[in-house]
Amino acid sequence: MAPQGWNLTGGSAQQAGRRASAGAAQQPLPWDTLEAANRAHPSSRMGRVPSRAGARASGAGGAASGPASSAVPAGVPENAVTVTQALEFADSALKGIPMLTVLGEVSGFRGPNARSGHCYFQIKDDSSAVDCIVWRGTYAKRTFDLRDGLQVLLTGQFNLYKPTGKMSFVARSIAPVGEGLLRQQVAALAEKLRREGLMDEARKRRIPVFCTRVAVVTSLSGAVINDVKRTLARRNPLVEIVCVGAKVQGEGAPEELIAALGRAAALKPDCILLVRGGGSFEDLMTFNDEALVRAVASCPVPVVTGIGHEPDTSICDMVSDRRASTPTAAAESVAPALQELIDVLNQREQRLGHAFSAQTEQASTQLATSSDRLARAMTTYVAHARLALDAAAARPCLASPFAMVERRRAELAQTEERLARAATQMVERPHADLARLAERLAQSTTGLGSKQHALGLAATQLKAVGTRLLAKPQAELARAAASLDALSPLKVLGRGYAIAYGPEGVRTSAASFTPGDNLRVRLADGEVGATVTAVTPNPADAR
Amino acid sequence: MAQEAKPVAELTYKEASTELEQIIRALESGDMELEASLESYTRGVELLKSLRERLTTAEQKVSVLLADVDGSTQLVPGEPADTTDALNL
Repeated sequence: MAPQGWNLTGGSAQQAGRRASAGAAQQPLPWDTLEAANRAHPSSRMGRVPSRAGARASGAGGAASGPASSAVPAGVPENAVTVTQALEFADSALKGIPMLTVLGEVSGFRGPNARSGHCYFQIKDDSSAVDCIVWRGTYAKRTFDLRDGLQVLLTGQFNLYKPTGKMSFVARSIAPVGEGLLRQQVAALAEKLRREGLMDEARKRRIPVFCTRVAVVTSLSGAVINDVKRTLARRNPLVEIVCVGAKVQGEGAPEELIAALGRAAALKPDCILLVRGGGSFEDLMTFNDEALVRAVASCPVPVVTGIGHEPDTSICDMVSDRRASTPTAAAESVAPALQELIDVLNQREQRLGHAFSAQTEQASTQLATSSDRLARAMTTYVAHARLALDAAAARPCLASPFAMVERRRAELAQTEERLARAATQMVERPHADLARLAERLAQSTTGLGSKQHALGLAATQLKAVGTRLLAKPQAELARAAASLDALSPLKVLGRGYAIAYGPEGVRTSAASFTPGDNLRVRLADGEVGATVTAVTPNPADAR
Repeated sequence: MAQEAKPVAELTYKEASTELEQIIRALESGDMELEASLESYTRGVELLKSLRERLTTAEQKVSVLLADVDGSTQLVPGEPADTTDALNL
């Protein structure tokens, strides 16, 4: 903006004028007292009109000239007028000029005066400039901000400040034209869209910290696209760039940009960079186009804007998801620098190492603990087992296995001894008893002599009786025995007869035998065993 | 890693980076089987190596989206940025 401003200003004289007016504004407020001055010197019209020669003389002589001087120097023509009168003429002439509407560029604008609130500046065109005053009340009713370089339409009248003879244009109303008008319209549009909520922070989407694919919507012929590429190539070459070309200024630019945004969004990149290099306010007007602004706001992919340079703000910037001050800044904002990624990787490497060694340490600690516990448990178990074993081993049956036998042996010996004693007693006691009995028997036989004699007697008697009684039966028995003896078969056998016995008893028939049969043969003094060799029945007996 | 892990080379930088972060967090949480943690660690180291390589060998990829007359679009390879420090006047 500035260079353009300077171009418009043109020559150095203009600059000088600007400086002069700036200086004047700092002087003790000549204009503020303008109206007061008019009132303060009403007598000036009544004063003598000094002659031109007088003026010259007073100038040469150094004498003070003014309404107070009553003496009219010699040689002053009658038609000469005083400065005041001259200014009166001028003033009335200026007042005769009707209300004017002047087109000019604001210059030397320094804002309203701190004390009075009035504004003093200049308006100019290519070849002329005039001081301008905007009273506080008028300034308060303005619809846009005044600043240097702004084209404005001022409606008002000229005014002459007599104490300094300075002429000013007093503006009763101000209206913007050109860029000023545009700015006003832009501001109105921005306000409208703000009220619609298009600029709400809440509707702005988060841009990924690391966009790996980025669509760049801008002119492909300008330096901007290369700036973006170069910025990202240096900062982070991992970011893939898709260039989507569109006209960025002039007729049809908004439509091309809208179409390009649509095509870019269709690729579903991580974000869209809507960028444009610096330019005049008019150049950047494209990005204040309502349709484009709405397209940016409704773009399905987050949009990062970088339009113009630092102070420039377009409505696209206001509705975008992130606003960067320049295309380069926009490019830098979509991905971390390579070094940051390296730092992150370094950090992660450390974390990975720590985490893993922590894991293994934890595991090995657990293992050590388990090992300790195992060892303790095992020791305890073994100790218990040993105690049990020791207890078992200490049991007498195992400690001295022969003790049991010995005990039994001792018991047996004892029993044996008792047995022996018992046996001895058993033998000795009857002996003793017998001895005692023999003794008692011997003592008891003393009265037996008489009884023995009686008994001998009785025995003799009994013998005699017995012999008597037996004599007859004895004789009968002898007779019977002789008879029996005569009849005995044995007597027959004595004569050479034999008796044959089969298994069933006596056999009387030869026919009852068959050769091979066994038989017994009773003889007088014994028996013989025989086997039948032949059977020969008597012919007389055969029938 | 529950699902079958993709070969590291097939992952994009961001995917690999995300997986690495997840692995580290899982390891840092400390409730992982030792075998699993060893596996994760190995994978993590592999990812880390691949990511580093990519950073050192990264080359800018630029394409241009062209609009045809019929309204269709076409993506063609574009010139990467000239990053030589020579003064381009």
